[in-house]
Amino acid sequence: MTRGDRIVVLLVVVLAVAAWPIAGLASGRASGAAIAVVSGLGGTYRIPLDADRRLAVRGLEGTVTVEVSGRSVRVLESPCRDHLCVQRGEIDAAGEVIVCAPNGVTVRIAGRADAPDAVIR
Amino acid sequence: MRPTRSYADARALTTVALLVAVGAVLGLVESSLIPSLPVPGVRLGLGNLAVVLAMSLVGRTAALRVSSLRVVIVALATGALGGPGFVMALAGALVSWMVMSLLSRLRSVSVIGWSVGGAAAHVMAQLAVASLMAGSAAPLLLSPITLALAVPCGLVIGYSSRLLLSRLPLVRSEFGTR
Repeated sequence: MTRGDRIVVLLVVVLAVAAWPIAGLASGRASGAAIAVVSGLGGTYRIPLDADRRLAVRGLEGTVTVEVSGRSVRVLESPCRDHLCVQRGEIDAAGEVIVCAPNGVTVRIAGRADAPDAVIR
Repeated sequence: MRPTRSYADARALTTVALLVAVGAVLGLVESSLIPSLPVPGVRLGLGNLAVVLAMSLVGRTAALRVSSLRVVIVALATGALGGPGFVMALAGALVSWMVMSLLSRLRSVSVIGWSVGGAAAHVMAQLAVASLMAGSAAPLLLSPITLALAVPCGLVIGYSSRLLLSRLPLVRSEFGTR
């Protein structure tokens, strides 16, 4: 390995290290923009995920409780029969959806930096 | 194609053809191997071996020929021609060639440096194109990891190239130019 080679290797390593905080900043900003879109009979609500809160949404069969905690959303309680929405658990990535079909309530995460749908090689 | 004018021309043409074939086969072998690294899309870059050899043995233009032809042949064989993966591969090949040909002008940088620089340029170009196609900066967030991995991959290919150059019966001086 010549001196020039060492300089090239060093340059790439420096670039990699420099790209680290930039990538971290960018991803932090991207996730800060995440918003949950909750729609029910009462209309559509856009809730930022930064602040923890609970929301009561009117559905066809009663009130559905949606909880935001730690940048993720879940359906806490629902008067529906199967409780598929409750069993879906927490969602936190842009594009993920919780549906409570009997109540006509949906929770979707919208975000600017969407995660890739698929990775091809 | 213009007729070959001399023995050296014929040798250069044959070497380019040979390296395209070797590069294509190496690329195919690599694409059929199970990816062993956790980051998607990271590969050793075996095909780049042929490009580095072409640049060292025949010249920069020949290296560009080997690089672009190789990408097209591998895409034809894997059925990826025209797809997003093909566009990424082509962009990677072109930008990598640009960086390697710049590095090859510097006397103090050897094949190892070309290979590392080329590998880094390759991954960055691919991520940039992926970002453009996806319409988001998300793929670029992988750049620290892929750049860091480009160093060992480039070193492996660079040292292999140096070994091959010292052992293969392909003599550089026959072509006159580098």
